[in-house]
Amino acid sequence: MPDQARAILNADPRFSRFDPLPRIIYHDDFNSGLRGWVELIGNYEHSLDSMLPQYADMRPPMLSSGTHWDTGTHGAMQGTYSMKLATRARAGDISVSIKRVTWRHRGPIRLEAYFTFKPEASELQLSVNDVRAVGVLFDLQDEEYRWMPHWRYLNALSGEPVRSWQFKREREPFHDIGDRAETVSHFHLAPTGWEDVPDSGQILCYNEVATKFNWYYLRMDVDLASRQITHLQCNDRIHDLTGVGPMMIPAMPNLDCMLNVAFWVETDVDKRAFLYVDSVLLSGDW
Amino acid sequence: MLRENYTAIVERSEALLGSFATEPYECGWAGEAIFFVRILERVGEIEGVKLNVQISPDGIRWCDEGMSVTLGEEEVAFCKVGHFGNWLRLAGTLPEGASMKAIIALSLKA
Repeated sequence: MPDQARAILNADPRFSRFDPLPRIIYHDDFNSGLRGWVELIGNYEHSLDSMLPQYADMRPPMLSSGTHWDTGTHGAMQGTYSMKLATRARAGDISVSIKRVTWRHRGPIRLEAYFTFKPEASELQLSVNDVRAVGVLFDLQDEEYRWMPHWRYLNALSGEPVRSWQFKREREPFHDIGDRAETVSHFHLAPTGWEDVPDSGQILCYNEVATKFNWYYLRMDVDLASRQITHLQCNDRIHDLTGVGPMMIPAMPNLDCMLNVAFWVETDVDKRAFLYVDSVLLSGDW
Repeated sequence: MLRENYTAIVERSEALLGSFATEPYECGWAGEAIFFVRILERVGEIEGVKLNVQISPDGIRWCDEGMSVTLGEEEVAFCKVGHFGNWLRLAGTLPEGASMKAIIALSLKA
């Protein structure tokens, strides 16, 4: 990026904390609405009951002021509001929010976000292992492939701390939906098939109780031309991409130029898990 | 300034029976709300059942706000709410042997 362009970004507190590529595709800070982020829903035909059951209830996102029983309103990293995803209070439940656009140039894309996650503050305990995972994915399609880079922070599993990053390239089976052979569905967020990003152990700042928020930086780059994940970063850690790849699927009907981004949170216990996204910036190089 | 508005589908998939409550929905930015209850399937006598609007100081503990949605024979019932703090949910009890599937929409406006 030219020095002058960078200087303009640095002069604006909304953007100086980001490292965008030259074109900003969208920047959502959630202080003026949910801005196109919506609950993910599975495909269906004739009836909602035709949906794969895992997709039936991904929960609507909220605009959260981060308000708690003990200290009141925490607010966001910038401004009052963040986007909040909340699971139901049952182990394994997932909440997913997605934003859907299309790409106009098949080149580098960069996703940056500031986020944090917490369990519901319903117990006076540390609760540091109650959130199972938080993650982000791209859902992309060109003329040959639908490809889906998945990246998650596995915080804990079955009550045990994990604290490392994983990716998923293993495909889940496709199922026909309805009776017209027009629609299929696959639950790509299934708990199976996740692989470790090499040497990706990372302790994030949980900060002692469920009502304290510390915000983390996340960056994920992909190249639409080469269909590769090119950068994974959380705070100061840039992760080794050796062997890391996306889920690859032959191109599907009516998904041309798809450029979707989704965030999710999964709970490990019968307690709600919350993901808070202060801001998201998606940029491209063209 | 254009008034922000947002509709959240707070219930869509669960079979509702006995005592139930919708998931907490944080909406302190909004100044007014309408709960719409669209009944997709009904079993047994649910006409006349009241679903109470509840408010909360923290999203964990709940009190009746005073307004309620009364289920009838029609597909859609609703109630309007104002001055509700930071969280909203609907809670109620269906009679023994009764159940329903419903889309419960929370329509919010700043």
